[in-house]
This record gives sequence, C-alpha cells and structure tokens, in this order.
Amino acid sequence: MKNTLRQVFHSSKFVGGFVIFVAILLTLIIYPLINPGNPLQQIGVGTFAKPGTYVSLYDATKAPTETLRLPDAGDKRLASSLTEEDKVAMVEWFTAVEADISDLDTNDTDKMLEMWEQYYDPSVKPKGMIRAKINYFKRLDAALQELKSGDTIIIAEEGEDGALVESKKILDTDYVNTKSVANVKSLPLGTDNFGRDVLKELVSATGTSIRIGLIAGIVATLIGLTLGLLAGYVGGFLDDFIMFITNIFTVIPGFVLLILISYSIGQEQRGAAVVAVVIGFTSWTWTCRSVRSQVISLRNRDHVNLSKLSGHSLLRIVLTDILPYIASYVVMAFILQVSSGILSEAQLSLLGLGPKTTEVPTLGLMMNWAMLYSAHTNGSWWAYFPVILTITLISFSLNLMNTGLDQVFNPTLRD
Amino acid sequence: MKKRIAMLLAAAMVVSSMATAVSAEEAAGDVTLPREETLYFAGQQWGAVNSWNPIGTNQNNSMAIAAGAGWRELMFETLYMWNVMDGQLYGLLANDDYAWNDDMTALTFTLKDAAKWSDGTDITAADVIRTFDIGVEIANGTGSSYGPYIESVEGEGKTVTINAKLNDAGDPVNPLKILDFLELTPIAQAAWIDTVYERCGGDATAILNDAGDDVVWSGPYTKYFADDQKVVLVRDDNYWGQDASMWGKLPVPKYIAHTIYADNAAGEVALKAGEVDVCQQFIGNVQNLWLEDGLPISTYYEEAPYGVCLTMPTAWFNMNIPVIAENTALRKAIAIAVDYDSIIANAMTGQSPSFADVPRSLMNPTDGEQALYDHDAVADLQWTGNDVEGAKALLDEAGLMDSDGDGWREYNGEKISLNAVCPNGWSDWQASMELVAAAGQAIGVEITTLYPEADSYNAVFTDPDQTEYAIYMWSPDASTPSNPWTRVNQFMGKDYVGVTNNWSGNWGQYVNDEADALIKQIPLTTDEEELKNLYTELTKIYLTEVPSFSLMYRPSVFHAVNESVWTNFPAGDDGRNIPPADCTDGYGVAALYDLELVG
Repeated sequence: MKNTLRQVFHSSKFVGGFVIFVAILLTLIIYPLINPGNPLQQIGVGTFAKPGTYVSLYDATKAPTETLRLPDAGDKRLASSLTEEDKVAMVEWFTAVEADISDLDTNDTDKMLEMWEQYYDPSVKPKGMIRAKINYFKRLDAALQELKSGDTIIIAEEGEDGALVESKKILDTDYVNTKSVANVKSLPLGTDNFGRDVLKELVSATGTSIRIGLIAGIVATLIGLTLGLLAGYVGGFLDDFIMFITNIFTVIPGFVLLILISYSIGQEQRGAAVVAVVIGFTSWTWTCRSVRSQVISLRNRDHVNLSKLSGHSLLRIVLTDILPYIASYVVMAFILQVSSGILSEAQLSLLGLGPKTTEVPTLGLMMNWAMLYSAHTNGSWWAYFPVILTITLISFSLNLMNTGLDQVFNPTLRD
Repeated sequence: MKKRIAMLLAAAMVVSSMATAVSAEEAAGDVTLPREETLYFAGQQWGAVNSWNPIGTNQNNSMAIAAGAGWRELMFETLYMWNVMDGQLYGLLANDDYAWNDDMTALTFTLKDAAKWSDGTDITAADVIRTFDIGVEIANGTGSSYGPYIESVEGEGKTVTINAKLNDAGDPVNPLKILDFLELTPIAQAAWIDTVYERCGGDATAILNDAGDDVVWSGPYTKYFADDQKVVLVRDDNYWGQDASMWGKLPVPKYIAHTIYADNAAGEVALKAGEVDVCQQFIGNVQNLWLEDGLPISTYYEEAPYGVCLTMPTAWFNMNIPVIAENTALRKAIAIAVDYDSIIANAMTGQSPSFADVPRSLMNPTDGEQALYDHDAVADLQWTGNDVEGAKALLDEAGLMDSDGDGWREYNGEKISLNAVCPNGWSDWQASMELVAAAGQAIGVEITTLYPEADSYNAVFTDPDQTEYAIYMWSPDASTPSNPWTRVNQFMGKDYVGVTNNWSGNWGQYVNDEADALIKQIPLTTDEEELKNLYTELTKIYLTEVPSFSLMYRPSVFHAVNESVWTNFPAGDDGRNIPPADCTDGYGVAALYDLELVG
C-alpha cells in the first residue's frame, strides 16, 4: 500500500492534479473563515456591480482629510469626464450647427469648452440627428457643466426648519485614507444579478458542486461496480440480463435521460442531493461494462478457482479475490465519474433543470442565472467566467489525477 | 436488372433533392426584404402564427391580432384608438365625436366616410353589428368580454348606436366596458363573417379555429409571409387611411417584419446589432446600451423608469389552500417582508418607480389613477416592504409559531410550506419569486420557488380549483378606458371566481362580498367625490385583506428603439403625444406615419 502510494505520488501528472484539487479544497475551507456569512445574502441592490473595492461615500465625507497637491490630478479628472471620443463628438456637434471649426485644435480643451458654451443649445435639434445622439449630447453637456462648476463640492445637511445648512466643503485637493473610512468593501468578483458577492457565492457553489460530483460518482460507481461484478463473475443468464439493461442504458444518450428524469421529478423535488443521485443513476453504464470485462478475465484465474474449490461464498470471492485486482481501475473510474458529475450538474442547471434555486448555490445555477440576466451579452464577465474557470480547473485536476493513476497502474502505459 | 433499378432510384433521389433545393431557395427569395423599407420588431411574436382570423381564438398572431397598450392597429382596426398618455380615445374607423345619451344607456357615433375594406367596399354599421353579434354567438373574446355589458349594436349606413345592457334597476350594467369595446374590438367585415359562417356550417368551434386565410382587413398592413422563422406584413397601398380625414398619408415602412427569436437574449442581441428597430422586450439595465456600449438605442424617457408603467405584476395568494385562506396574518406577513426595493432594482433594474415613490394601492402610477383614491386615508395600511420584524410580530400574534424548533412555523401542527411559482425563463418574474422565497425564509415560512414551463403554468393557474401553486404571478389589466375599475375587479371581484379557463382575473379566487358590492357600484357612479370614496374603501379592504400583492410597476409594452436605420420614433419630450406603444398599439400606431430614414 505504502509502495503504491509512493508510486502514485511519483507521477508528476497525478501530483499536479492533486495539488490543484487540494488547493481548491483548501480555499473552500479557508475562505469562509475569512469572509463568513450566508453566500446567498443579497448585499447589492441592483444587478452586476463591477469587481473592485467599494468605499462608503457617506463615511468618506466624514473621514479626516489630508491635502495632497498631485501634479496630474487635474488632468486625470479631466480625462475621466472628457474622453477623446467626447471631443470627436463635440466637433461633430459644431459641424452639425455649422460653427466655424477651421482653426480648432481638439487638444486645446479650454477653447473646446468655450466653443461648446457658445454653440450648444439643448433646444436645437440638428436635422437628421437621431434621438440617441441628441440624448448623448445632453449628457455630455451635463458632464461638461460639472467640469466647469469649480473646485469645491459643498456638503449640506438639512436643518431643523428643512433648509439646507452647509456642513462641509470638499476641495479638489482633499484626500481620505481608505483606512480611516469606516466601511470599505472589497468585491474581487463584483456582484451577480441578485446583488450577491460572486466570490463568496462561488466558493460555496464549488463546495456544493464537488459534493454533487462526489455523490453522483459514488452512486454511479456503486451501481456500475455491483452490476459489473455480478455480471462478470456469475455469468450466464444474470450476465445476459444485466448486459441487456446496460446496453439499453448505453444506447439511450445519458444526458437525454438525465434531462427527462430531472424534468419529470419536478423542480419541487429537486434538491442538490436528488440531482446528484439522478446524475449517478444515468452514468453508471460504462463502469459496469468495463468492470464486467475485467472480471471475466479474472474469474478463471487459479486463485479464484482455488477459492471456489475451498467453498468460499460468492460474496467473499468477489470481495477478496476479484475486487482488489480491479480496485485501481475502480478508483480511476470513480474520479472520472466525479468530474463528469460536476459537469452534468452544470449542464442541467444551465438548462434550468438543476437543483431548485433558493437553497444552495451551485456552479450550474450561477451560470443559469447569469445567462437569464444576459451577463454574456451585457459584458458582466465576472458573473460567469470565474464559474467556468472553476469548473474547468476542477475537471482538469481530476482528469490529470486520473491520467497520472493510469500511468502508474496500466501495464501497457507503464514506463 | 437490379443495377438498373438502383441507378433509377439514385437518379430519382438526385432529382428530388435538387427540386427541394430549388423550392427552398425560392421560398427564401420571397422574404428578402430591403432593409431601408422594413421596420423590424422583436418581443411580440413567439412561435408560428396560427391564424389570421380576427373573430377566432388562439391565433398566436401578435403582430396582427393582439392588444398591448391598446389594440394592435396594423391589420385589423378598431373604432377608436386608445392613448395611454392622455387617456383619450382618438377616432380611427369612427369619427371623433361619440356621444352618450343622458342616462348613459346608449352610445352613438358615426363611421368615417372614407373608411373602406381592403376589397374596396365601405365599412358600415352592418360590419360593427355583425362583429358584435357573431362574437356573442360563438363566444369569442369580443363576445365574452362585452356580451355581458352590451345589449345590442344597431345602426344604418355610417351611424352606429350601442345599447347598454341594463340591470334590474334600469341602469346600464357598465358603461366603462362599452368604451373598452370601442378601442379593443377589431371590426371584421360582415360579408367575410358570412363567408366563414357558411364555410363552417355555423359551428362555433370551427369558426373560432378557422385559419382566416381569405380574410378582409381594413388596416394599413396585411399578411405577406409567415412561417416559424418570421412574420412579415406588407403595406396595403390602397389603405383608406391615406384619406385626408384620417392620416392623410401612408405609413412609412413598406414592410413590418418580426423575426421569431428563441428567447429574450436573442432578441436583445439582434437589437444591439441593429437587426431590430423596435424591441418590445424587457432589457435589464437598458441604459448601459447607450451609456456604456454607445449604441444608437433609446427609450421613451432618457431617465429611469425609461418607459410608462401601466400595470403591476402581482403575486396572487391561492385561496384554495386552507392555510392561506384562513390566515390573513400570514398573507400580510409575507407581503410586508418582501424586499420590493430589491425586486425593483434586480428584476426591473430600476425601470419602475418604488413603492415609496408610488405607495401601493389598486392604481397604476399614472397621475389620473393616483388621483382616484385618498392617499392619507390608507397611508397607515400601505407598506414599502422588507419589514421582517413586523412580519414576525404579525405571525406571532396570529399564533403561527415554530413549536418544534425546526426553524419553520406551523399551522395546526403542520409546517407551513408554500411554493412561489412563475413560468420558466421569465427572468424578471423568476427573480421576484426568488425574493419572495427569501422573505419567507427570513420570517420562518418555508417558500420554495418553482418554475414550470409556460404551457403547464398557464393550464394550472387558470384552473379555479387548483391547489398546486400557492403564490403565483400574473399581471392585472394595464390601461383601458374602463380602468382602474377593471383592475380592481380583477383583484377582488366575484365575477371570475370559479370560472374555468380563467384568463380574466381574480386568479387567487378571493371572495369578499363587501368589496364586490362596492365594485359593482363604481361603473354607475359619476360623482367624483363618491367615486373617490368607493376606490378608497376598496383600497382599504385590499391592503387589509391582502388577497394578492403587487411586486413592481411595469410598462404594458416595452419600447426600446435602435436608430441605425429608422429614426423619429416617439419620445417623452417631443410634444407629439404619441405613447410608447411600440408604434403599433392604440394611438401609438401614429408613430409609423412619422418615421424617417437615418441619413
């Protein structure tokens, strides 16, 4: 056993897969300790907040300020409210209202703003200009007005009589240390369509999905193993019968069967565990077939015959004389079953046939909701891409482990 | 010999496959539409058209035979066009001047002299009469909606009189419904109705299911092509409405085309790509299309809520389920615990006023309806949501406690377990149901979400005896001349209780005799103060009894336009008074006459 393990851990592929998988598992254990709480809690009101660090504006205005005179602050500010595209658009407006732009330098911002002041009139609708463009110029004008409004923002509070009382002035050179702001929330992967913290949800979902994969893998391997052992060892009518069933299941595409079963048990019954079991029930066939074929080659070995002659029971022969010889294969098959179980859950959920949605997050459900909310078309990559990456990493690591094991145990592949 | 047969067979196969290839090409060639003459839609038609029969049923023909913010006036026209912006009826087939007699038992109007059918014959009183009569005879939408309110339609030549049904006291049953008839009933040609009648031997079911391929229409467009990929209408250049007494010109686009998209996402992608001009679909964070993506897309208003909200998608409590029917506290607790701000921010991405902006009642957010009840009188009863502690207190007070310590409350010793249901794929509704379920979790009432396919959902929720769904979504009426009365009747009226295949209202089967009596009084009340009292009383009952709770405000049709090809679509500030009704519904159709090509 020790020797086997040593052999296994000599395989670089296995070790690579193992390290990735353990890293994922460790994240699952450690991250919730750093960032505890319900992963399904909706912290954001609104959909798809971008990844980044969020500073409470409310607290920031109350935090002590330092004055920093940064040389490029003004330019940055200007650049963020007046892009090159905006300048091109301004020129477009000037052309539309037939202003003289022969000696206009678009780099001369002051001159541009001056001309804008002179020529922009929200009530003018240049001929042929579409509404979307007119609306765009209105927004641009508002942004430019803000730019001109000076270096000070005044914070006012409502007094007792309802009138506004100035409480603070904020200068363009005032800076706040993020450490002195009471509330700073880091959302490395932003929020999803329900305003949930995607990273927190992802970690929890990965856990659920791995559990689903494990249950599916165990169910599929148990069924496949039992039927394969029986069919292979007992043979005769039982073999024919089991293979008949297995062939039927092989011929019907597993995923179609999965969809049909998931659909018919109805969403109300579909918890994560039920989905896992259903996946297991539809993916045992090839384990069964290959176990059977291996058992057939084993059952006429001398030690098996000796056991038979000694009058050992069927169960004992199967468990002690046959199973150990195919154990390595079964472990490898199990790993692949886990991997495909996770993928199946993701596929099912993507079709809206996954576990019911209010209870636990799963990787597939995260993708399903991201898709329902068109995250893929509105550019909210953080809602689905990390999920895809996680699924890929899990199945990659599991497959890598499987390949490593194969190299160790498969005589034809052994160096 | 065998070889020869094989050769022959092979040759036959080649020939036949070539033949199919050619015919497929021809078919495709038929519907290549010049982009500059075609206005493309999305979000109306899902699946192939069943029929073109305006007096039939189940046509699945959203471009020709459907209503949104008013009747879709493209192919079959109504007497009047409804404008949701000003609540006025504008004459279409009829002249503007309809008139009631003194006791509101009869309404008279005249048809436009110019109004003609596509076969060139005049549209006369006989057509209106026949449209109503056949409706009653075969119980189609017109018959079942207006039969209970209209005694008869009579008239001669171009003059038509609609006689109201009278109740025992001699008063008209509901004059408001007669106004609905004017704007929601497409008029069909009497001669064509006779043809169909004969063809079907007078059998009502056969008439309702007639495909209507030979139909005679009055509108500016007619059928051109329809399969499971797209539906195309083509302009009828002989349209009567180009007469000076109506529009004075033809609508601008020659073709109206609607590609049948698989889902909202596909339609949205097409809108972004400029393949769709007018999009009647909910688009989350629609402002990002222009703010971030810089696309030439706009909505009716530049700022949230971007459109005109006319209805409130509502969660209905199923009164067939004892624990719901017997516990007003449970209903109210769930309703006040729901986080509506999140629903509006998430499900509607802010495209709805909040319940703090427009406090909940029986009214939609338009000024006209809001003025119809006394806000101060019901202020104590209104809730803005997310009141988990209040909800828990209500449940505790009502004795719905968690006695076995499993975290869920029980009623009569049994765990309260409800489901929250809406059709699968309706993402904004699904998000709402998720939030209702979350509210349940917060107050210790197990609510699980369930998303069946739309077909099975429809079959169950319209069944008056169903107990499968506990909380489920549907929208009451949006805006017609008879609203808010119709909507109030849908919330609490007894008319719809026990009706099989109930698409009309009161989907929770809520019975309240007091409310019903008040509802019955409204149509006959003309005194404004009295009317306001009645609506205020009804609002009180509704907010106390909570037979259902609205989740958000919502436009009846969405209206986002891409100006890559066409421009001059209606907008909130353009002073034209054209509603955001997709350029097709009610008075919104006026937009088609003003469109311009870009550049």
